[in-house]
Amino acid sequence: MIAFEHVGKRYGGRFEALADINFRIERGEMVFLTGHSGAGKSSLLRLIMRLERPSRGRVMVAGHDLDGLHISQVPYYRRQIGVVFQDHQLLFDRDIFANVALPLTIQGVEPADAARRVRAALDKVGLLHRERALPIELSTGEQQRVGIARAVVNKPALLLADEPTGNLDPQLSTDIMRLLEDFNSIGTTVMVASHDLALIARLRHRVLKLGQGRLISDEEAA
Amino acid sequence: MNARRQPEAGRRGAQRATSRQGGSQRGGSQHGGGGRAWLRHHREIMTDSARRLIRRPVSSLLTMLAIAIALILPAGLWLVLDSARLLDDRLDDSATLTVYFDADVDETRAMGLATNIGDQAGVAATRLVTAAEGLADFQQSLGVDDALSELDQNPLPASVVVTPDDTTPAAVQTLSQSLKQLPGVDEVRLDLAWLDRLQQLAALGQRVTLGLALLFGLGVLLVVGNTVRLAVESRRQEIEVVTLIGATYAFVRRPFLYSGAWYGLGGGALALVILALGGNWLAAPVAALAQSYGAEFTLPSLGLTHSAFLLFFSTILGWLGAWIAVGRHLADIKPR
Repeated sequence: MIAFEHVGKRYGGRFEALADINFRIERGEMVFLTGHSGAGKSSLLRLIMRLERPSRGRVMVAGHDLDGLHISQVPYYRRQIGVVFQDHQLLFDRDIFANVALPLTIQGVEPADAARRVRAALDKVGLLHRERALPIELSTGEQQRVGIARAVVNKPALLLADEPTGNLDPQLSTDIMRLLEDFNSIGTTVMVASHDLALIARLRHRVLKLGQGRLISDEEAA
Repeated sequence: MNARRQPEAGRRGAQRATSRQGGSQRGGSQHGGGGRAWLRHHREIMTDSARRLIRRPVSSLLTMLAIAIALILPAGLWLVLDSARLLDDRLDDSATLTVYFDADVDETRAMGLATNIGDQAGVAATRLVTAAEGLADFQQSLGVDDALSELDQNPLPASVVVTPDDTTPAAVQTLSQSLKQLPGVDEVRLDLAWLDRLQQLAALGQRVTLGLALLFGLGVLLVVGNTVRLAVESRRQEIEVVTLIGATYAFVRRPFLYSGAWYGLGGGALALVILALGGNWLAAPVAALAQSYGAEFTLPSLGLTHSAFLLFFSTILGWLGAWIAVGRHLADIKPR
C-alpha cells in the first residue's frame, strides 16, 4: 500500500528532516509511526499526503508514484486517503453532520446517498445522536471521534492519523485507538503517528521508529 | 402512503447498487455524480454565498455602495452624452446641405434637378424648397412681410435641402463638391466648422466616458478584490481543511467567485436605483430650465437594455475582481 524507497527530505537545503527511509506497508496492515517530536513523523505523513515532495527517493502509495502525480490529480489522489488530525480540524461554523459530510460534498455525492453514509460513519464512532450539534458543544474526545468519522466517511483504502490522541486522557486515547483498530479489521490500511509509547506497546502492531530523520527500528507485532 | 414508499425504496436501492459499481474503481469516483452533481453544487454555492452576504448586511451593502458609486459616474456621463445625441455618429438633421439653384431655374426644372440630386451617390434624402416657399419661410422668420411684399419679383432661387448618407465632415465635404458640379447649381452651403466642432466634442465626450469607465471599472475590481481577500482570510482554516481532504482548486475558488458576482450584481442594482432617484431629483429643475428657453427636454433614463447591460457588466466585473484576488491569495494558503 505504501512504499518508501531511499526517501530523503531536506528543508531549505540544509535541515535534513528525513534521510534514506525505506519501508513497505502492505494493504490491510496497521502500523504505528513513533519517535520524538522532530524525528520526522509529520514530514513522513506530509509526504504520503502529497503535501510535500521528497528531495530524494520515491514514494509509492496505492500504486501511484507520487512524484509522477500531476498537480491537477493531487485532489483526486487525496480523496483515497482519510486523515485524522491531532487538532481534529473541524469547521466550527457548521454542525457535526456537515463536518462529516465534507469529503462527500467535495466529491459531489448525491445528498441522499451522502446522508446515509454520514449517519453510518457517525454511528460507527457512537455520535449519531449528536449530528445536529456544533463542534463547540462537544468534548475533546467527541470532537476527535467526529474527526475520525469524517476521515472514514469516504471509505478510504488508507487511513492516516497524526497524533490522534495527543490531547486526550489515557482512557479516551485507548478508545480512539480501538476505533482505529476497528477500521483496520474491516480491511483499511491504518498508519498512526504517535509518541504514546505505553499505549502503542499494549496494542501489539508493527512499529516504525524514527530518530533524527532516520528509520531506527521496524518491529513486527509481537 | 405505503404504496408510495415502496417504489421509492426500490429506486434508492438501485441507486446504491450503481454507486457501488462506480465506487469499485476509486480513482474514477470524481465523475460519479456527473453534470447533475456539478449543477447542484453550483446552486448550493450560489445560495450559500448569497446567504453569507446577507448575514452581514451592513458590510455587504457598503461594498455594494462603493461599487455603485464607481459605476454611477461613467453611466451618468454616458446618459448625458446620449441625451445630447453626441454618441450617435450621424448627427441627423443637423448635418444637411442646402443646394441653391441658379436664379433662372424655374419650378419645373427645379423639380427635375432635385430628382437628379436625389439619385446621386451619398444622398439619403432631398427636400425641394421652391422659390415661393423660400420667400414665405424668409418672411416668416424675419417678420418682414410688408417690406418684401413691396417687391414685384421674388429675388430668391429655388433650393434643395440634402440629407447625406454619411455625416462625417470629410464625406459631407466631398458630397458638397460633387453636387456643386451639377448643372443649374449655383452654390452649396454647409456649416462645416460647426459640424466639425460638434463631432470633436462628441469624440472628446466619448473618450472621457471610456476613460472614466476604465478607471472606475478598475476601482470596482479593487473594491471586490479587497473584500474577497478578507473573505479568503477569514475562511483560511476551511480552505486548508478542504484542500487536505481532496478539494480541487476550482471547488475552493468557487464560493469566492460567486460572492464576487453577487457584490457586482448588487452594486449594479444599487447604481440603477441611485441613477433613477437622481434623475427624479433633477427632473423638475431641468424641465423648468428647458422651459425658460422655450424648449422641451426630459432627463434621459437607462432603458431596459442598457439597465440589463449595466447589471451584466457589473456582475462580470465583480466576478473578475474575485477571480484575480482569489488567485493571488489562495496561493498563500498552504495546508500545514
